[in-house]
Amino acid sequence: MNAATTAGSAPLLQIRDLDVAFRNEKKQPVPAVRGANLTVYEGQTVAIVGESGSGKSTTAHAIIGLLPGTGHVTGGEILFEGQDIAQARKQDIVALRGSSIGLVPQDPMSNLNPLWKVGHQIKEALVANGVATGKAADARVVELLEEAGLPDAARRAQQYPHEFSGGMRQRALIAMGLAARPKLLIADEPTSALDVTVQKQILDHLDTLTDELGVAVLLITHDLGLAAERADHLVVMYKGQIVESGPALEILQDPHHPYTQRLVASAPSLASQRLSSGKQRSEVREAAHKQARHGGGESAAVPADVGRASDDVIEVEGLTKVFTLPGKGPFGKTDFVAVDDLSFSLRRGTTTAIVGESGSGKSTVARMVLGLLEPTSGTVKLDGVDVAGVRRKEDRLRLRRTMQPVFQNPYASLDPLFTIYRSIEEPLRVHGIGTEKEREGRIRDLLEKVSLPTSVMRRFPHELSGGQRQRVAIARALALEPEVVICDEAVSALDVLVQAQILTLLNDLQAELGLSYLFITHDLAVVRQIADDVLVMQNGRVVEAASVEQVFSAPQQEYTRLLLEAIPGASIPLGVVEAGGSSAARIDLDD
Amino acid sequence: MGWYILKRIVQTIPVIVFATLIIYALVFLRPGDPVLNLFGDKPVSEATRATIESQYNLDKPFIVQWLLFLKGAVTFDFGTSFSGQPVIDQIQRAFPVSVTLALMAVAFEAVFAIIIGTYAGIRRGGWFDGVSLVVSLVIVAVPIFVIGFLFQIFIGIKAGIDWLPATVGGDWTVTDLIMPAIVLGLTSLAFAMRLTRGSVSENLAADHVRTARAKGLSEGKVVRNHVLRNSLIPVVTFLGADLGTLMAGAIVTEGIFNIPGIGGLAYSAILKGESPTIVSVVTLMVLIYVVMSLLVDLLYAWLDPRIRYA
Repeated sequence: MNAATTAGSAPLLQIRDLDVAFRNEKKQPVPAVRGANLTVYEGQTVAIVGESGSGKSTTAHAIIGLLPGTGHVTGGEILFEGQDIAQARKQDIVALRGSSIGLVPQDPMSNLNPLWKVGHQIKEALVANGVATGKAADARVVELLEEAGLPDAARRAQQYPHEFSGGMRQRALIAMGLAARPKLLIADEPTSALDVTVQKQILDHLDTLTDELGVAVLLITHDLGLAAERADHLVVMYKGQIVESGPALEILQDPHHPYTQRLVASAPSLASQRLSSGKQRSEVREAAHKQARHGGGESAAVPADVGRASDDVIEVEGLTKVFTLPGKGPFGKTDFVAVDDLSFSLRRGTTTAIVGESGSGKSTVARMVLGLLEPTSGTVKLDGVDVAGVRRKEDRLRLRRTMQPVFQNPYASLDPLFTIYRSIEEPLRVHGIGTEKEREGRIRDLLEKVSLPTSVMRRFPHELSGGQRQRVAIARALALEPEVVICDEAVSALDVLVQAQILTLLNDLQAELGLSYLFITHDLAVVRQIADDVLVMQNGRVVEAASVEQVFSAPQQEYTRLLLEAIPGASIPLGVVEAGGSSAARIDLDD
Repeated sequence: MGWYILKRIVQTIPVIVFATLIIYALVFLRPGDPVLNLFGDKPVSEATRATIESQYNLDKPFIVQWLLFLKGAVTFDFGTSFSGQPVIDQIQRAFPVSVTLALMAVAFEAVFAIIIGTYAGIRRGGWFDGVSLVVSLVIVAVPIFVIGFLFQIFIGIKAGIDWLPATVGGDWTVTDLIMPAIVLGLTSLAFAMRLTRGSVSENLAADHVRTARAKGLSEGKVVRNHVLRNSLIPVVTFLGADLGTLMAGAIVTEGIFNIPGIGGLAYSAILKGESPTIVSVVTLMVLIYVVMSLLVDLLYAWLDPRIRYA
């Protein structure tokens, strides 16, 4: 988007010393935004970048007077075309919404009313802002949907939100935000819930559209690469304050504030490399082999060739999962092939990443490998033993010990009623390992390994941050000294800096313990940092399987290239060279 | 959708058949001799007993009794009561008043629960919300017969309003049923009100409601179009199920207000051990309940376009 700033013209939106606070249960104010200053000129695109809790969304909501719950502006002013919104009467703000300031919200799944047809919901915006009524409004709705890039708009307008995919819903929300032709469009993480390829399409479209219409855009995002690619001007927020602002490229290449420097360093763009070097990697593999040979002696009871420490810890052959869904008619059934004839192997002490967009079948693979879901056909072999053939209870327990999962949402995967101690102890207890005293010592070791203070033992999941919770989940997975850890989107729910820390931790643990990782993710940038081999999945099939270097430097398939191109900010040269390196490795306990 | 309805209707057949079997077994197992009940204190001669027993098939094993009942039921012959009335006539007399009473009670419930609940939900934590919570707790805590008697005494007798009589009796009119309907609906009103209130305040915080505000809708429109309809889905489900329960008879309320409804009919039949009446009435109750739950499911699909049955 171009900076259509004419010198001397009055700013469209000017925020001066804005303070926003929420009230806690004791009615005391808890500041969320402190002394924020921000200016948006007509037709300009400004991006606010920050992690969750930085106050970026709160700032955006303050502008349209839609602060949730007890949120309220405690100081400063928000001038929109010279009028102070912060002090305006309620009906004046309502008059501004839609007609002067539009909003494209974050999550397309929850932002459309499921009970009304999509067309009706856009029509409401037209009627409420006096743009059109009746038949004229219906016709306009179709035009708007077409403009937002929705094919077959006339038919789509008559459908309900649940008949739309995520990308289509976001297009409908863009049509809604732009329906009354506002002068300013607030786009609050407009694509973070979407697949990368869809994200790119939608953002490209939004770019052209706002350019054509001359709409100013305030883009809220956690993704520095995306912000730099789309905005003229960047504003970096951290803990409720604006720490840096300036032209996008300047900030990226020459960040001044330490927080911005860390953010730039951790940005998972294409510039980042495998976290450890090739030499270190081969040492890790060596160690893993040694351990496996050693371990093979112990587990002689397993009905497999004793002492066999083959190169591959997991071998998957012809893995297929077919789900049967209800079809047409009273007894109709249709088959849905979620995973189609998948074969791969995980070399000992290495990381294999499975990459794909939502619906590609990657999580189904993880569940089948873990033995939580029975495959329709095909085999999963762990250390040469077919997982499906393991029937006896002690063999099953042994299988579980060798293979442990780490899931995406650390809040959902930890029991909220268990202390951290109990969560990590549970697997030890189930497997009858050690006495109470020994278990406690083991838990202390584990917490140390994942760089958490032992004081968290007595706390509950809700008292920890997202990054800390994910560390607990990793500690729990490591409690049984597994050989393989299966990470299903293990860092996807985390902020960039925390994500970098967790990836570093996983990498260090791999080197220390000779672990093998099966890493399920939708994010190719993360793959580059952690994986050795990559499987690219699409619609249940493997599109491309190769080493990380091959996939990134010479992708063979069209789909892989598409995924690579869609990574935001890929083309922007960053200021910090040793990306993902030392600065990210610093463990910040208040993450 | 058509297939779904057909499937559901076919499913009710075994439900009804087994319901009658269970009821028959329970009636058979209950202590007491129906013939003796019929004669009260008077002695019964062996010949009379044999005649009555063969007339009502009481001499046959209970499985045979049940099969004979089923055979009759297919042709809408539900047998006769001991007083010689066909059971179908008894039901036809008692059913309309129960249905009217239930419909009135649910209508009363729905209107007040939704209005009060919505207001309390919007002003969550305010004084109105607080008062409505206390009142609803009191209503739920006090047994229905206490509330019934209080209404009878203070409105029916002390206030002496002609068109709100304390008791109903055989020749009932719709206005006679106003007070019983209010008493009958009060408990569910309290539940439905709390349900509406919770649902409204939860929906007010929904993302799509914020989006509705962001597109410039007035607060009234936001509440009417985007909060209320979404919030009413669980409430409607509750009210529908409640209508089924109430139609199947409200024994206590009918007793208090002397309403000749289906609940009273079932109660007196149980006292007398008239198995044809008991089984027919209870089966009817089961049938009503099954049909109402089917209607609720269809209503649910109509309210929420995401729900499609196949």
